Amino acid sequence: MNHNDIKSNVLTTTLESAINWGRKNSLWPMPFGTACCGIEFMAVLAARTDIARFGAEAIRFSPRQSDLLIVAGRISIKMMPVLIRIYEQMPEPKWVISMGACASSGGVFDTYSVIQGIDQFIPVDVYVPGCPPRPEGVVESLMKIQNLIDKEKLSDYALSSSK
Amino acid sequence: MGIVQGDQMILNIGPQHPSTHGVLRLEVRTDGEIVSEIKPHLGYLHRCFEKHSENVTYEQVIPFTDRCDYLASMNSNFGYVVAMEELMEIKVPERVDYIRIIMGELNRIASHLLALGVYGLDIGAFTPFLYMFRDRERILDMFELTCGARLLYNYMWVGGVSHDLPKDFEKICIGFLDYFEPQIKEYNNLLTYNKIFIERTADVGVIPADVAVSYGVTGPNLRGSGVKWDVRKDEPYSIYDRFEFDIPVGEGQFGTLGDCFDRYWVRMLEISQSVKILRQALKDIPDGNVHQALPKKIRPPKGSVYRRTESPRGDLGYYIVSDGTPVPYRVKMRSPAFTALSCLDEVSRGWMISDVIAILGSLDIVLGEIDR
Amino acid sequence: MATIIKSYEPTFWDKLYFPALLKGLMVTIKHFFRQKVTIQYPDERHIPPDGYRGLHRLNKYPDERIKCVACEMCAAACPSNCISIIPGPSPWDDGKERYPVRFDINLLRCIYCGFCEMACPEGAIELTEIYDFSNYSRDDLVIDKDGLLGVYELTKKQNYYTKKSHSPASLPFKTERT
Repeated sequence: MNHNDIKSNVLTTTLESAINWGRKNSLWPMPFGTACCGIEFMAVLAARTDIARFGAEAIRFSPRQSDLLIVAGRISIKMMPVLIRIYEQMPEPKWVISMGACASSGGVFDTYSVIQGIDQFIPVDVYVPGCPPRPEGVVESLMKIQNLIDKEKLSDYALSSSK
Repeated sequence: MGIVQGDQMILNIGPQHPSTHGVLRLEVRTDGEIVSEIKPHLGYLHRCFEKHSENVTYEQVIPFTDRCDYLASMNSNFGYVVAMEELMEIKVPERVDYIRIIMGELNRIASHLLALGVYGLDIGAFTPFLYMFRDRERILDMFELTCGARLLYNYMWVGGVSHDLPKDFEKICIGFLDYFEPQIKEYNNLLTYNKIFIERTADVGVIPADVAVSYGVTGPNLRGSGVKWDVRKDEPYSIYDRFEFDIPVGEGQFGTLGDCFDRYWVRMLEISQSVKILRQALKDIPDGNVHQALPKKIRPPKGSVYRRTESPRGDLGYYIVSDGTPVPYRVKMRSPAFTALSCLDEVSRGWMISDVIAILGSLDIVLGEIDR
Repeated sequence: MATIIKSYEPTFWDKLYFPALLKGLMVTIKHFFRQKVTIQYPDERHIPPDGYRGLHRLNKYPDERIKCVACEMCAAACPSNCISIIPGPSPWDDGKERYPVRFDINLLRCIYCGFCEMACPEGAIELTEIYDFSNYSRDDLVIDKDGLLGVYELTKKQNYYTKKSHSPASLPFKTERT
């Protein structure tokens, strides 16, 4: 069946919004916290900026159960294979937040051992600047991810599975 | 039986693991569930702070020291600037000394709160973590008020501090201390005297005093073993000799001296001692200009200096070599967490895997400082 | 191998564990009736104090002249080398010869340490209180001169978070994914 046919179907568009609604309000983050940003991510979980208000409090440290990878902290060359492996273990659909200067661009550490931006290796959806970002910045990026999920089309999944 | 030993198993913990406080990989050789050997593998967070410091100016090193021990950035700054001032023979105004001690002790409380909260999390108690973070946020708010950042401050500069205290800081800080002191009792009710917690930590991971000394373990880990050693008292830097405070040591309340519970308990007692220092410092803080002694260009004379300070994790030393240029010739950091990690192998032999997590949590290591 | 010694012997009551559980629960239950600490973020926002180190801005004189004279002191002081300036001859005749033709800050490189603010002899670059911004691409987080002046317009009169209509959409970033 042509995926354009699916697109025009009323039932599937309703289904699509229902799925997206469910997905965006029950993100399961996998925090890949290595350094300072990891501590600030703990603050996001804690009482002041309660991330549970967005349905994303179910922190899972195993990649196979989560759909949002939050890379917080600098990634060294020795750590990068681990990160790639964890990313590949996550089931589709998945999203990635690159939190903080070091993960996004290497930040102040322009040295031989630090990866200058994880987007050279894995796709990143939202970048959060700051060193470290305030918890509010992370919540803002989470809302951006929710916006992304809202725009997902069922036909995109049909396409990606047929690849 | 050659290389392969029949009933031994090698288990990798980490590098991505909730209980390793960062990116530490432990290669655990186990016999059943009993640990017979642990090899820590480092370098997963290496970003060459020491080499990079040789390419930036002396003042630009300060943001890097922030990012070494990111739980106690103020104390990291403190050690560096005290060493630099010794090298350059700068005398800072009295107000600066007081401000530094206030900030250092506040950060010590924040760091210990995080260490204790996360330790509870490792053992399986989630609630204390939330309570301790709630109070830590209030300390971070005070830092934000003073220097405009929450976690990495870049606050202490060579010869002074970047901003003076805000106008009503003393009032806010005393208000916080009045609020905070009763909370310690609440933490004790919630976690310390909880029988499940005591059973997980008492008698587990005993570091005898001689082992601790021979491994160079410092800070609360050493004091947990009953050795009364604190750089603030024994080798006072800045103006720590003016304050009255005790050095809490482990007593082996619920088990053997030097077990996980003692290390935890020493941290809890140190929080109250920090509150005591803070109250004294806030009482006698003098007026003055905090920027008075800031040098225009930092160009220390040829020479070297080693200065150690007491960070929340222990004995934090900086060795700085200057060749007379505005760029350091060598900056070496002596990290307390590194030595604490080195005794993990000896301490955890004979314990179960779940106890290794308890021991590791009680050592309170920060990987940013170990790998540098 | 260390020998495991058990000197702590729990009593019968301790072994029940229920008293310990109930004691902990009592602390939690008391907190139901206390003041809540959570900030409902998108609706109410923490108002940072003066001197917070957030997003940068470029200041202007009241007669619209940019204060920056492109001396590149900030770029030299920056530990992460995130500022790049291309100077040019000033279009205004007020005795200052140069002004920045381009002024780019890579916000993802920046560590918000405040060294640029301290180094600037003209008081031109300043860190504002704006803290909640993020974006979908790395290129969109390089803020240029117009963006920096836009931030100045947003924050010159009053604190950004005390305004009635503040939203991340008003910041000079692209908000759509490209």
